[in-house]
Amino acid sequence: MNPAPSIWTSVTGVTLAQTVALVAPSVVTALANPTSYAVLLLTALLTVWFWEGLFAVLRKRKPGVHGITTALIIAVLAPPDLVLWQLAIALSLGVVLAELVFGGRGFGFLSPAVVAASLLVFSFPEVTLAPGKVNVALATIPGALLLLFLGLISWRILVGAAVGTGVLLMLSADGLNAPAIAAAMTFCLVFVVCDPTAASATNPGRWFYGLLTGGLIILFSDGPVPTTEGVVFAALIASIFAPLIDHLVVLVQARRWKTAHA
Amino acid sequence: MASNLRHVTSPLIENNPVTLQILGICSALAVTTSLSTALVMSLALTSVLCLASATVSLIRNHIPNVIRLIVQIIIIASLVIVIDELLQAYAFEISRQLSIFVGLIVTNCLVMGRAEAFAMRNPVWPSVLDGLGNGLGYSLVLIIVGSIRELLGAGTLLGYTILTPASDGGWFVPLGLMQLAPSAFFIIGLLVWAIRTHWVGQVETPKFSLIQQRSRG
Repeated sequence: MNPAPSIWTSVTGVTLAQTVALVAPSVVTALANPTSYAVLLLTALLTVWFWEGLFAVLRKRKPGVHGITTALIIAVLAPPDLVLWQLAIALSLGVVLAELVFGGRGFGFLSPAVVAASLLVFSFPEVTLAPGKVNVALATIPGALLLLFLGLISWRILVGAAVGTGVLLMLSADGLNAPAIAAAMTFCLVFVVCDPTAASATNPGRWFYGLLTGGLIILFSDGPVPTTEGVVFAALIASIFAPLIDHLVVLVQARRWKTAHA
Repeated sequence: MASNLRHVTSPLIENNPVTLQILGICSALAVTTSLSTALVMSLALTSVLCLASATVSLIRNHIPNVIRLIVQIIIIASLVIVIDELLQAYAFEISRQLSIFVGLIVTNCLVMGRAEAFAMRNPVWPSVLDGLGNGLGYSLVLIIVGSIRELLGAGTLLGYTILTPASDGGWFVPLGLMQLAPSAFFIIGLLVWAIRTHWVGQVETPKFSLIQQRSRG
């Protein structure tokens, strides 16, 4: 019944594909501030791998290296002048509370990178996340195509979020500056909103999830161009609703199936 | 006597109303931004719980079964009003900070639960001890959560500066998160985790489990 397990359908395969997709945006971010980026990434990697290793030892499991995607995402989102212990605290809470307590990658219902970025902003009012840049957005596209091809992110969520954002912006007086909006959102949309463990998993649910996220992005952002904080908070709220959305979709489909086969 | 003492010691950790029965979470989240509010709330709840248990137990044989919940609520509500008025008279500032949560002790599942589950079926003295034990168990959690939140969120304890914040020339950077409600959830969650790691018997059987895990045993 089940397709033969291949590297791409395993959790390690997903992590590997996401890491490959993250290389280009990470390199572009690194080129802007090589030293501070290297220090931030190193801190992030040490933090996530420390917790993954500790949990692997305590739970007597094979150590995972899934934290690499969390570290790469947070290193792009973090401002270059971020204080390192603040990054370590937020990332520890994010990785432990959003992923490891549930049993590791794929068992939680939130993206650890989203939780870490949110806690960073909640805990330290002076911290603002790095705004989306044009070159990072362009560098995200090849990786996004790879993830789309492998089925790890859903075009329905991407289109839904774009529609949600566009409609709300057109309704507001600010008007629509499409290139600036795309530049601000692309990286977060692909790696934060479309996280395969946090987003909705049913096709109709993906539309609702995308529309909800897109609308919330504008609600949480100040002004006509989405902020990174706005996208991260929108992803956080939307992924809390994602299991409910999926549950309702399954209920409706089950009822429809029952009436059709009654 | 030893069995009576058990009513006081058992709810402290191994049968804690907050971390095992997950009761009274609402106020545990709301009033723990500082240690002083947590202490006053603990005091208020513990006294209401003891007095309510005593009163309910005293008249337990005269309460008609069909209206017992109404009678219990009337007793608890009267006690809460007295405590609330006392706080307003003698500790107005704290009472203002606690706002509605002293009044909400009426609806605290913990107080109702002990009246219904214990005081209705037991003599006065064990009921008082049971109320005291559960009140102290609740207080213990509130004090732990309140201390952590005030210390890490503002660098103070009971208003006294322990860690000098960076804005006053110290090294400590307050964690804004600790002053927000989610941090209370995190801390209570971590407490439950720690307690259940030590007292394995408290771990609930999961409703669902993965197929591989089941076959692995």
